[in-house]
Amino acid sequence: MNYLRLIALILIFSLSLIPTFPFTSQAYEDTQCFQCHTSAKKLIEITREIAETRPAQQSSETEGEG
Amino acid sequence: MEPLAPHEKIFVDMDILDDENHGGIACHECHGGNPDDPNWKTAHKGVKRDPTYPDATAACGDCHDEISEHYQKSLHATLKPYESVIGKRCNSKGVIGEKVEGAMGAHCSQCHSSCGQCHISRPDSVGGGFLESHFFKRKPPMQEVCTACHGSRIGKEYLGEHEGTSPSVHRQKYMSCDKCHTGEEMHGDGKEYANRFEVENRPSCVDCHESIYDKKAKNVITHRIHKDKTSCHVCHSQPYNNCASCHVGKDKNGLAFYKTKASWFTFKIGLNPLRSEKRPEKFVTLRHVPVHSETFDFYVKDALKNFNAVPTWKVATPHNIQLKTPQNASCNACHGNESLFLLDKDVEGKEKAPNKGVIVPANLIPREQKWQPK
Repeated sequence: MNYLRLIALILIFSLSLIPTFPFTSQAYEDTQCFQCHTSAKKLIEITREIAETRPAQQSSETEGEG
Repeated sequence: MEPLAPHEKIFVDMDILDDENHGGIACHECHGGNPDDPNWKTAHKGVKRDPTYPDATAACGDCHDEISEHYQKSLHATLKPYESVIGKRCNSKGVIGEKVEGAMGAHCSQCHSSCGQCHISRPDSVGGGFLESHFFKRKPPMQEVCTACHGSRIGKEYLGEHEGTSPSVHRQKYMSCDKCHTGEEMHGDGKEYANRFEVENRPSCVDCHESIYDKKAKNVITHRIHKDKTSCHVCHSQPYNNCASCHVGKDKNGLAFYKTKASWFTFKIGLNPLRSEKRPEKFVTLRHVPVHSETFDFYVKDALKNFNAVPTWKVATPHNIQLKTPQNASCNACHGNESLFLLDKDVEGKEKAPNKGVIVPANLIPREQKWQPK
């Protein structure tokens, strides 16, 4: 019986060592992707910069219903 | 649908990390790029905006294996109807065939959808942008996804946005597209269909309204008399939108454009060109589609040499259903009422030949009835 308790304790302890979801999420939060894409300020600056250099994406000659 | 500001299209909410199914997947695992590079220009090198198109199996397949495999053959991915109809009208190989293929790639094929463009963002063809900060939406929102693409006909009909029409009775009951068009239908069943009428799990009115043929049902006599003779839409649709002509090209900046003639409203009953065991009705509603023999002239002359191979009036399933309509007000509101039928005089001269099989000859218009059901 004591052996079983010991095994159970070891199992529970081992599980706590597996990197779980919150730890992974924390790592993602620190990526450059999240730093930029969760900041409206940064995105406004970047999209304005893009708009200045990139021509229009849609033709103004489209007429009627598709 | 409100347009999104450029930054709104790509703003991600940090709470996405709490999504128990997708929050543990790093951005670069699907989109690529370099998550450690602080320079946004170099960090985005190799980034896939939509990692689910054209092949969704790498991004979604680990968990949604069956759906992502089936999707490849769904109509939203293959756009098979364009290929098969234009193919019949073009029927050219060699240089002309290649040029038409190129033109279709620049125009028609832009209207596809994908896992991402239904569940995460608005479809590219309507400008893209996250539906809600990159949250994964199990049920795509109707007006930002479904009717964003299927707008000028289906969407406006369903929502009653055309002047003088009412919203569909289904809309009035607060039904969204997915009540009839299930995920299974949208994702495909792994079979490649030529058009939506062939899809085995497509919705049918009697899926819900089977009891209309029951002995004690209201209007049972009328429903039984017309069963397999007319489609439900013939009696229950309001007038709907029709488009004509369509010319595609590229402007001086190389951007693709299309031009169609002004659309018009009508309601026309014609002969069913897709009559089959599953679709036995003799009469169906027909809609004029936006095509012209010179549609691809910008790219190559005489591309649609066999223009007459397919009717320009095609089977329509208007989404503006009403219980009571002018044509079902009484037997003779329809019987003997020539104006409801697509007659020879309703079809433009050079379009008479391709539509011969759907035009209703005078002798086939149902005669006026003396008898009226009680």
